[in-house]
Amino acid sequence: MALTGRTALLVALGALVVGLLLPSWAGIGTVTLPVLLGVLADLVLAAPVRTLRFERSGDTTVRLGEAATVELTVTNPSGRPLRARLRDAWPPSAWRPGTAFAGSRHALTVPAGERRRLTTLLAPTRRGDHHAHRVTVRSLGPLGLAGRQGSHHVPWTLRALPPFTSRKHLPSRLARLRELDGRTSVLARGQGTEFDSLREYLPGDDVRSIDWRASARRNTVAVRTWRPERDRHILVVLDTGRTSAGRVGDAPRLDAALDAALLLTALATRAGDRVDLLAHDLHRRGSVIGRSPNEILPAFTDAMASLEPALLETDMRALTACALRMAPRRSLIVLITGLDARPVEEGLLPQLPLLTRRHEVVLASVADPRLDELATARGTVQDVYGAAAAEQTRADRRRTAERLTRHGVTVLDAPPAALPPALADAYLALKAAGRL
Amino acid sequence: MTLTATRTGTAGSTSPTGRQLWLRSRWFLLFAVLLLLVGLLVAGLGSHGQYPPLDPRSPDRDGARAVVHLLEKQGLTTRTVDTEDTLADALAEPGSTVVLPEPDLMTTTQLRRLAQVRRGSDSRLVLISPEAAALAAFTPGITLATTANGIPKSAGSTGVPADCPLPEATLAGHAELGGLLYRPGADDTGCYPRFGAYPLVRHTDPGSRELVVLGSGRLLTNERLAKDGNAALGLSLLGSRHQLIWYLPDYAAAARSGDGSAAGPQRTLTDYIPEGWTWAGLQLVLAALLAAFWRGRRLGPVVTENLPVVVRATETTEGRARLYQRAKARGRAADALRQAARHRLAPALGVALTAGEPDPTALCAAVADRLGRPAAEVHALLYGTPPTDDAALVRFTDDLDALERQVRQP
Repeated sequence: MALTGRTALLVALGALVVGLLLPSWAGIGTVTLPVLLGVLADLVLAAPVRTLRFERSGDTTVRLGEAATVELTVTNPSGRPLRARLRDAWPPSAWRPGTAFAGSRHALTVPAGERRRLTTLLAPTRRGDHHAHRVTVRSLGPLGLAGRQGSHHVPWTLRALPPFTSRKHLPSRLARLRELDGRTSVLARGQGTEFDSLREYLPGDDVRSIDWRASARRNTVAVRTWRPERDRHILVVLDTGRTSAGRVGDAPRLDAALDAALLLTALATRAGDRVDLLAHDLHRRGSVIGRSPNEILPAFTDAMASLEPALLETDMRALTACALRMAPRRSLIVLITGLDARPVEEGLLPQLPLLTRRHEVVLASVADPRLDELATARGTVQDVYGAAAAEQTRADRRRTAERLTRHGVTVLDAPPAALPPALADAYLALKAAGRL
Repeated sequence: MTLTATRTGTAGSTSPTGRQLWLRSRWFLLFAVLLLLVGLLVAGLGSHGQYPPLDPRSPDRDGARAVVHLLEKQGLTTRTVDTEDTLADALAEPGSTVVLPEPDLMTTTQLRRLAQVRRGSDSRLVLISPEAAALAAFTPGITLATTANGIPKSAGSTGVPADCPLPEATLAGHAELGGLLYRPGADDTGCYPRFGAYPLVRHTDPGSRELVVLGSGRLLTNERLAKDGNAALGLSLLGSRHQLIWYLPDYAAAARSGDGSAAGPQRTLTDYIPEGWTWAGLQLVLAALLAAFWRGRRLGPVVTENLPVVVRATETTEGRARLYQRAKARGRAADALRQAARHRLAPALGVALTAGEPDPTALCAAVADRLGRPAAEVHALLYGTPPTDDAALVRFTDDLDALERQVRQP
């Protein structure tokens, strides 16, 4: 049960009657009793909450930062009209900031035996699954003094997918990819490039690419054209351990890593390569294997939606073993992890020869722009010590990157906004060089 | 990217039914009832009002129930009086002992009126620790013993010998006497001398009307009655007549009657509010309770969710900076800054790195050549000794920055 402000107001106004006319227990009774009777009548006459029926429909997935609508249909099977306040409760991060209170509450009137539809507008601020909590209804009586209150469990899950903000870099990288296609002179013939076709010689073509044998068979000079290798295998390995939990700006490193992985996936799929995904910290957190080009991006975003950084040290040995199992033949392994000296030296370096023996390895790491800010801060003693510490950290990262480079790994260290295009460029460079 | 679908899950009411509520709360209710019963029992067992000291009904340590009880067992009739009028009547009764604890709590007018009462024959009035005003009213002969400065003398109650001809005292022997000390008048008997004055003085008026002044009522309290000769002295002091009348002023009643004295009872704010509004206030309290219930009832519970860990990625670097500062690690800080500067300068000047470090002489020569500064000065900046204090470190950093700037934009 629940009371309304009207009850309290009536009883408070009754104080005037008691004070002026009937200053006694009898007076208090005379004033309060009718109000209490009204409350009782309301409780009896309010439409029942328990028998209400609910049904949900609406969006099940939404990109982070975009709005989703979830509809709630309320059916009132009782013989009394339902006049109610309703709260459709969702976790706080499912709401656009500041709208959690107003957005979840609805005023509702459902005549007897009818149904009404309510729309709840959600805009998740965190990646992952958001589950509807419960629907609470306060059904008021005809006098508006009191009402019945009860809750229903009406399950619904809204999955907030990674935002893929680096989509904007995709057109320019696809253009670069097309440039690689059909180039003759600039592109060096390597083991990774494939013979594409023969075409007529045009002035400006490299004379070294003239196919004399083919030219002999026809009466024009033919040149061979090459195209980038296709059907290569790429394995994106996300380290979801503690190094991915650190916040850069106001998002964890993992979010930038996901963005970079999505851009690479979109680009590589267009380039005709196959992409698999592995998320790993102490154990395997998720993987996407062998999807067709059409469904790979939805599959990736879906798998990434519920990834959260774990506060654990990543087991590099298990990660390497898992990656090797998923890449039985030569692949490009893109490892998105941290460049902190200790975890790399103790975890990754011993395992690296296993990976580089057969595979091309790219290590991408999210750098923190705050480190550069610290390094350039001057003025107070504190700033100078901060700058010294930042320089020390940068030197450590540089040393680690150098050690990895000596093992034949391509190392990328870029701030969150720059990492996805940097990774895409590194991929295109490897492809152009025919190293896949 | 959004797709629309209809999904009906295992929807259902989560509110408990009446039966569930009862099953859930019955043990709690049982416990609450038990707690209430135990509370009432404890309150009932241990309940007695707060008595003032030397109250003949009080079983507390400072009460006087024991001595009154003993006297009753010996056949005395005892009663208490609580108003000034009944006290005046009691004083006029013949053959009675009247006990007046702390007479100075009464006003001067009251004391004067009581002193003018013609006391009954063969009676005794016991004043317990009277001060100057009460003494002056009842027995001008007895005065407070004072020190040279005029401060009343007093002594702690300890067992002292009687040392006087008073029969009650000689029978009791040692007793715990003390409190205020008095100087007896010419015909009075002082007993238990302490510091040249007496905590017990007896004055006799014609017609066997006695007046006993006691410096402290401690010997009559429940706690001390069994010690020394306290019981003997107390019983003989209070039990010499057939009737014992104990004055217990009812201060609340006195205040209500408003006995006309200047220091009348204080009227509180509530006395000025018409009675009707106290009822209206009660009604408002009821309204406030209902309002509290209205505001306190939430529309469903608070929804919780796990929050992500918020650790800035530079946390360790900032921690290291604070460690440097606390440890005054200027050398280490300067080394880090120098190394970073060398790494930026070497590629800008085309000096090759060998094993990750540029050659010192080559780098210094290149910088000196570019800026036209002596190589030794550049060497001191890039490879010199650590700064000696924080101010020097800040200066050093500024110099290093200036050098880098100049190399980039000569």
